[in-house]
Amino acid sequence: MRGRRAASIVLLAAVTVWAASSAAGAPTGYSADPHQSRLEFVGVQAGAEFKGVFHKFTADIQFAPEALASSHFDVQIDLNSTDTMDKDRDTTIRGADIFDVAHFPTAHYVTRSFAKTATGYTAVGALTLRGVTKDVPIDFQFTQAGTGARLEGSAKLKRLDFGAGQGDWKSTSEVADAVKVNFVLALKPNN
Amino acid sequence: MPIRTSSGRYTAVAQTLHWLIAGLIVTQFVLAISADDLPIGAHKLALLARHKSFGMTVLMLAITRLLWRLKNPPPELPAGMTHLERVLARISHAAFYVLLLAMPMTGWLMSSAKNYSVSWFGLFTWPNLIAKNEAAFDVLRSTHHILGDVLFVIAVLHILAALKHHFWNKDDVLLRMLPFVKLDRAKSED
Repeated sequence: MRGRRAASIVLLAAVTVWAASSAAGAPTGYSADPHQSRLEFVGVQAGAEFKGVFHKFTADIQFAPEALASSHFDVQIDLNSTDTMDKDRDTTIRGADIFDVAHFPTAHYVTRSFAKTATGYTAVGALTLRGVTKDVPIDFQFTQAGTGARLEGSAKLKRLDFGAGQGDWKSTSEVADAVKVNFVLALKPNN
Repeated sequence: MPIRTSSGRYTAVAQTLHWLIAGLIVTQFVLAISADDLPIGAHKLALLARHKSFGMTVLMLAITRLLWRLKNPPPELPAGMTHLERVLARISHAAFYVLLLAMPMTGWLMSSAKNYSVSWFGLFTWPNLIAKNEAAFDVLRSTHHILGDVLFVIAVLHILAALKHHFWNKDDVLLRMLPFVKLDRAKSED
């Protein structure tokens, strides 16, 4: 009697978990197609905007609109691939006073939580840049396209939160503290 | 003795533009020379940002001045000037106008070629005129520097000529570009 009751509770629990997980769905695993994806930042230098792109990065995207709780982004950026379309500026940005790629060659972004917004989704994640880890929220839209998907969004951060600006570059009068990050990721399902 | 055909001075607008541009050009040389000696860094960036903002200001003022001049011809040169002096004056003034446009334009172009967009005092950003091009940047940079040297030489000649007119010829050439002073100096036709 007692055994049967315990068994039925276990069964009920199992069914409940299964039902809950299938209702919520499991996130789909994707990775960004490097040739069709773009990760850029927009800074302000001497009052004028400039753009930079990171040519090399990997994005491990686990996402499903119905499974936000178990969705997860993990993005690794090769800071040596920073390209602002000017070699002097690239050298400066990669140098010791800004990214310091010699000591911190990669930046890393890992999400912690997701939420639905009026226009798309928002995520809170931790960005590690120059050895400093801070939360940076991102806003994005997720569009399914065939078996893949398109992830487009942006984030705002302050470069000095991460020490990306030492010495003279701590001044924000010529290089603004605020930096915008834009991304368009062409996602391919992991198989 | 020839009679002066014009005792007029430059209009207040022309005078204002002349002295504003003159002041800006002196500032431009100071900023450019100071920035040239600095290594790449925030300080250099700050000086060049100001240099660009002032440069675009010169461009706008120079265009305004040219348009104004078309509608309001300058007073005639003193009658006592020789043919050669007149030719030299015309050439140097024409060269000034060319340089007042060419200096900012080559600067704007070189900033564009370097993909360093030109801001106007942080208030707005001028569009890049050409795409990023390192080779074009090098050529434009040299051109900008050479034109700067030419401008410097012409400016020195211009100042010396104005002083020569004032102290040697004792005519109104310098005074007519100055507000509040009385023209019609006694010896202007000597």
